[in-house]
Amino acid sequence: MASRGGKITVALVVVCVLLGGGYVVYAALGPSQTTTDASPRAGEAADVAVMVRAVDPSSPTLNGGVFVVEDGKVRRRSKDLACERVYYSAGRGICMGVASSGVDYTASVFDDKLAPEHSIRLTGLPSRARVSADGRYGAMTVFVSGDAYLDSSVAFSTRTYLVDMKSGETIEQLERFGVEKDGEPIDAVDFNFWGITFDPADSDRFYATLGTGSHHYLVEGSVRGRSMRVLRDGVECPSLSPDGKQIAFKSRIGDSNRWRLHVLDVATLEDHPVAEKRSIDDQAEWLDDDTLVYSDETNVYTVPADGSGEPALLVRDATSPVALRN
Amino acid sequence: MYQVEASKALLKPRLWARQSARLRVPRNVVMLGMVSLLTDVSSEMVATVLPMYLIFSLGASPLVFGAIDGTYRGAAALVQVASGFTSDRWRRHKEVAGLGYGLSALGKVALLAAGNTIGGVGAIVAVDRVGKGIRTAPRDALISLSSAKDKLATSFGVHRAMDSVGAMLGPLIAFGILFLAPARFDAVFVVSTLFAVLGLAVLILNVEGKPRRAPRDGTPPQFRAALALLKDRGFAPLLIAAAGLSIASVSDALIYVGLQRTIDFEPAVFPLLYVMTAITFMALAIPVGQLADRIGKVPVLLAGQALLFVVYGVLLMSSVGYVALIVCLVALGGYFAATEGVLTALAGAVLPEKLQASGIGILITVVSLGRLVSSVAFGALWFAIGLHSAILIFAAALGLAMCLAAPLLLRAQGAALDG
Repeated sequence: MASRGGKITVALVVVCVLLGGGYVVYAALGPSQTTTDASPRAGEAADVAVMVRAVDPSSPTLNGGVFVVEDGKVRRRSKDLACERVYYSAGRGICMGVASSGVDYTASVFDDKLAPEHSIRLTGLPSRARVSADGRYGAMTVFVSGDAYLDSSVAFSTRTYLVDMKSGETIEQLERFGVEKDGEPIDAVDFNFWGITFDPADSDRFYATLGTGSHHYLVEGSVRGRSMRVLRDGVECPSLSPDGKQIAFKSRIGDSNRWRLHVLDVATLEDHPVAEKRSIDDQAEWLDDDTLVYSDETNVYTVPADGSGEPALLVRDATSPVALRN
Repeated sequence: MYQVEASKALLKPRLWARQSARLRVPRNVVMLGMVSLLTDVSSEMVATVLPMYLIFSLGASPLVFGAIDGTYRGAAALVQVASGFTSDRWRRHKEVAGLGYGLSALGKVALLAAGNTIGGVGAIVAVDRVGKGIRTAPRDALISLSSAKDKLATSFGVHRAMDSVGAMLGPLIAFGILFLAPARFDAVFVVSTLFAVLGLAVLILNVEGKPRRAPRDGTPPQFRAALALLKDRGFAPLLIAAAGLSIASVSDALIYVGLQRTIDFEPAVFPLLYVMTAITFMALAIPVGQLADRIGKVPVLLAGQALLFVVYGVLLMSSVGYVALIVCLVALGGYFAATEGVLTALAGAVLPEKLQASGIGILITVVSLGRLVSSVAFGALWFAIGLHSAILIFAAALGLAMCLAAPLLLRAQGAALDG
């Protein structure tokens, strides 16, 4: 019996190796699914310039060509970039995506010709990217699984890195900065940071989200001081306006994974919702001091920051909008 | 009769045959190790690519991924005690374990057929975990029943080492496939399914369901008898000691979080931490098991627990260099090698033959509850008084738990020798 079982097993191993190997060869020779052929379409003509990441609505697999849409026309696309998230300022940009091997995540720092200059290996799924207005610092948030704390792989956590845009080196991990709340240092095992936004007037100053327990604190920090302090609760993915007076953010509805876009006044920390009624999971961007631009993972929209008006479609089949102000 | 035929089968590669002859590990244990190896390759292949698949192919937000990942956890715990007792009651350890392996294999097939919706993937992941919960206790009971009482720790060492080889190979194979065929997740799922089917086939065709120590006569055990294990003079002290030690041990996930806060180098190094621990575990599981059979399971178990003090010590350092990090990871791997398998082997020696799976199911559940308490307590302490103070408290608690556990474990070991 045992020896017959052995023979059947050996036969099964041979069959499985042939089937599995054959399928992998078939898949490898088949058409590549890592296309970046999707291209965005300009929506309402407006005299604005934005950089976006293209998505193909019918097959969202690994898209991410980078385009500049200007005055209602799609101007140019990158040859070398394929991004999940893109940001750009003052001649330098960050593109977070899948490495060319297709099995790892990587970020490239690119120049004003959209040509990659440096690459940085990422330790998780791309989530948020920002560059300071002067092009000095970059910030990237990734999702990591595997170090959640109740059991391995219970949930996921985030990691946020600060990058020197000139050298392409990682400066520091936000998790290692000290945090103060009401003048006292605080710390917890479930501290997660995401969504940095830099002060347009002083790139050393930034805001970000600190998630711990059921709280989502708005923190204000200093790159050189390696420190942060808690300002208020209930603010995710902050984004400072060009004049530095307002912060657009995601306001969570209850404890669901649904958010409304809100805008708060930096001086008073009071906030109001904008006219977009749908749940938006994006770090909003400012087109100018009065207008937000954001994506619903399919298209890019604008909406007035003061709560008036209606959302307007800016670019179809695109995400990750970046306002290009010269 | 069976043994003679088994040696003719020559299924295993030469090297294994020679080594297992030297180790004198029963063929059934090696086959069960092979089943776990193949199944782990299959599961880890999917676990490795699932986040990428969900986000890049299904367009799911990472938060959805978090929710799906969460279902990994709860599903397995509940079914362990039930499947353990059922397999004792029916005397069908192999069949119940086969049901668990079969469910996981079916989950892989389902992923190919219906894995294109997020809800579908969530359900499939949950089924996979339930399958894992069902198979663990009867599988460990089979390992125990296949081994002589004085070779139990070696047998569990061999099984755990083979199991971890599978867990290492899985991600490598998945990455290899995606490297050859970028973004073809279907190819990963096809190969994963084939590994799962092979694992199930090795179980059905090559594992003996009624090994040497399996009870062959007498009445099937009642549920009352399984409950009475909680008062058993050998098993009860073992359970109490295991609960205490698991509560006082910081979970590996938390240790990695702590290291990441302390370490001063490239983020790209982090994945290597897991690999290094796994390699140490793989290398040490068998020799440590042999040592436990030679000098006694209790001293090896306690020495393994003591390695956690080294880990805590490194976490208390203000800055961790490469040497300290390697010492820490090797200590962590040694701790794993000298504790979980050795503890299960001790349980296998203490438990009566007819209640092996029930007892092991209870033990696994108690240990995982202990770990949960430990993680919640450590998280709360970290928040309240900071990482360093939390570690100092846990180090004190571990010292206390070891002092209490030592006499209890010796009593359990004594009961095993009497019985």
